[in-house]
Amino acid sequence: MSRLPSLKRKQPDSGPSSVALTDHERILYNVIRSKRDMGIWTRDLKRESNLADNVVNKSLKSLEGKKLIKEVVNIQNKGRKHYMAAEFEPSKEITGGDWYSEGILDVDFINIVKDQCLKHIFRQKVATFDGVSEWIRKSGIFKAEITQQQIEEILRALVLDNEITEVKSTGFGEFASVPIGRVCYKCTSKSGHKGEPKAGAMASVPCGVCPRISLCTPDGIISPGTCVYYEKWLDF
Amino acid sequence: MVTQNGIKFAVHLITNHFGNLVSKVCENLLKRGPLSLEKLVKFTELTKEQVKNSLLVLVQHNCVQAFTFDEGDDREGAKAITEYVALFDNIIHRLRFPKFLEIVSQELDDECVELLEGLLRDGRLTLKQMVDRASQGKENPVAMDFVQENLRKLLAVRYVERCPDPEPFVSKPVKEETTRKRGAKSAKTDVVPRQTMEQLIMEAAVLGEGIRFSLPSNTESNADGETNADGSPMIIDGTSQAESTLWRANFEEFIRRLRRKALIENVRARLDDGAAVILSAILESTKTAEKKVKMENSVPMSLDTIFTEVMKTEFGRTMTIDRVRASLIQLGCPSRMLEDSYSIDLKNVLELARNEEVESIVLKRYGKDAYRIFRLLSKAGRLLETDKIADSTFVEKKDAPKILSRLWTDNYLHMEKLALSTTKSFLLWKVNNPVLRVHVLDEMYHAALNLSLRMAFEQEKDEELLTIPKDKIVGPIQKRYKRLRNVWLLLGSSLMKLDDALMLFHDF
Repeated sequence: MSRLPSLKRKQPDSGPSSVALTDHERILYNVIRSKRDMGIWTRDLKRESNLADNVVNKSLKSLEGKKLIKEVVNIQNKGRKHYMAAEFEPSKEITGGDWYSEGILDVDFINIVKDQCLKHIFRQKVATFDGVSEWIRKSGIFKAEITQQQIEEILRALVLDNEITEVKSTGFGEFASVPIGRVCYKCTSKSGHKGEPKAGAMASVPCGVCPRISLCTPDGIISPGTCVYYEKWLDF
Repeated sequence: MVTQNGIKFAVHLITNHFGNLVSKVCENLLKRGPLSLEKLVKFTELTKEQVKNSLLVLVQHNCVQAFTFDEGDDREGAKAITEYVALFDNIIHRLRFPKFLEIVSQELDDECVELLEGLLRDGRLTLKQMVDRASQGKENPVAMDFVQENLRKLLAVRYVERCPDPEPFVSKPVKEETTRKRGAKSAKTDVVPRQTMEQLIMEAAVLGEGIRFSLPSNTESNADGETNADGSPMIIDGTSQAESTLWRANFEEFIRRLRRKALIENVRARLDDGAAVILSAILESTKTAEKKVKMENSVPMSLDTIFTEVMKTEFGRTMTIDRVRASLIQLGCPSRMLEDSYSIDLKNVLELARNEEVESIVLKRYGKDAYRIFRLLSKAGRLLETDKIADSTFVEKKDAPKILSRLWTDNYLHMEKLALSTTKSFLLWKVNNPVLRVHVLDEMYHAALNLSLRMAFEQEKDEELLTIPKDKIVGPIQKRYKRLRNVWLLLGSSLMKLDDALMLFHDF
């Protein structure tokens, strides 16, 4: 069946002719199908179809049994029941995108990909995007296919983590193998270890991380003399 | 920009150094802007004598500047009025005296350090006072030409200057503007014009370059005669101008020096030693051409000149011209320069350092996800939508709004609501750097004040420990003593480090 949409206004016979549907089921199926890869929330479905609750519930069960529709997790509202016609794959808005698995951000997977990219860049000293993606493709570390866009996203996140820095090649020294001006990535930390960047002057004192600093006054209830964070910090 | 916590910290420093009366006068000047003696008496509810003496102390220590302006219609016969303005920056510089002394001890000899120490301690001194001071506790009085020679050394590097005009005349329009602005209730609007006022008054007070860093001519000739003839101790007669000339430390030059150091160290940390050496060589060779402290770009130089300067250093001798060129590109110079003149964007180096400081606060206070979000917004420099932010930073879609709201509540982010219909709306976020920088600086002043207050608190708590003779410090007392020492070391070094950040955000 084509993934191309049928228009919103459906012909009464737009459903699969081989399966016999009741009138109610047909109405519901058409509404669900019209939402294509976005699916629809049961409450919206009831409103749009103008059918009684019990009728809708019964018909939905029946449609699910006939494998014409499926329930999907909507990342925006995980608690809501959401239905989609069986022939569609949930859109990114519903699933959350490539990095989501069953409605949950796959942090473990993300971290593994990040880690591998970071290790590769550290070994190479300087790596380009092409270099990283080619290495991932050849290495066969990941069973699932990782798209170019995903690698790009991972590298961007590593830059935001301040694990790697985006630099332009000077064509000199460690950049010798990269054409001048080409964007490449370097590990921020010189030892190559993952870790937090060096804390700044403010972040190294209790007040720098204090969530109550705006309430702290020299003679107030919260004051440098009574501060619990200071007590802990100065506990030699 | 002077923030509320900045004023509190300045008042705290003045209280610590000069007591409550002086700090009361100073606080009124900081909070209300320039005031006349009469108004100060009214606001502080002190006697005229007390206010006058406090002002004298503050002027002596370069924390207050007097100025005159004409009040009333010109045709009616203008009346000259004297007012006083607190010099916020100079007050905060008091925290940095150890750093200034450290610079001199690295570059000049011990006698110069001693001379500067006297100037920092006493604020303003004449040559004669300097000689008296140097002679204290010594069997034979120190010769004037000896002190003069040291003064000359300090003047040559501009670490000392002649005191500015004690009471410059400021033209009327400035006054009108401040009067109008001072009437405004909002503290925020009050803050900005005072700074401009402060600058204008100081500009009017500052002496010409020639005279500012030179010894009076009669002393000059005497000194020359001295060195040539190697003879008579008679140097300056009583009426000499040198007698009355007041000298003081030139904070501006020290700040400039500290700024150069901060620039070089930041480049070293972010790039490498090579880039740091090159920047250092450029800044060192062009330091006399720096007109103001906050130079945005380094003085343009050709590659050859840079290379000649770099060669003078030990590390520089290892570098080829290609490596120098590569480092210059790393430092942000375009790879092909017109007429071969390389100029480094100093403002950008410091901007990156400021970003790092703010980001490090975000990381520690709000966690890794917030850090990534903040860096995304900071780099983007424009409004981004919640879901887009979550996607780009690998943050769970339901968690992103919570993190963003926390950052927004604490003034770290700016938020705008985009309503598409009555039911559907988007939230857009961005880092508003100018506002955020002021906020962070204010928090830093608050933190500096707290560190200083905690030091006093710790000292008070264990005061009796300090009076115990050394040989009695054993057992549990020794443990407490050690703790106090560690606490002091940690608090003191943290305050000095935080002060580096204060300079980065305010002075550089």
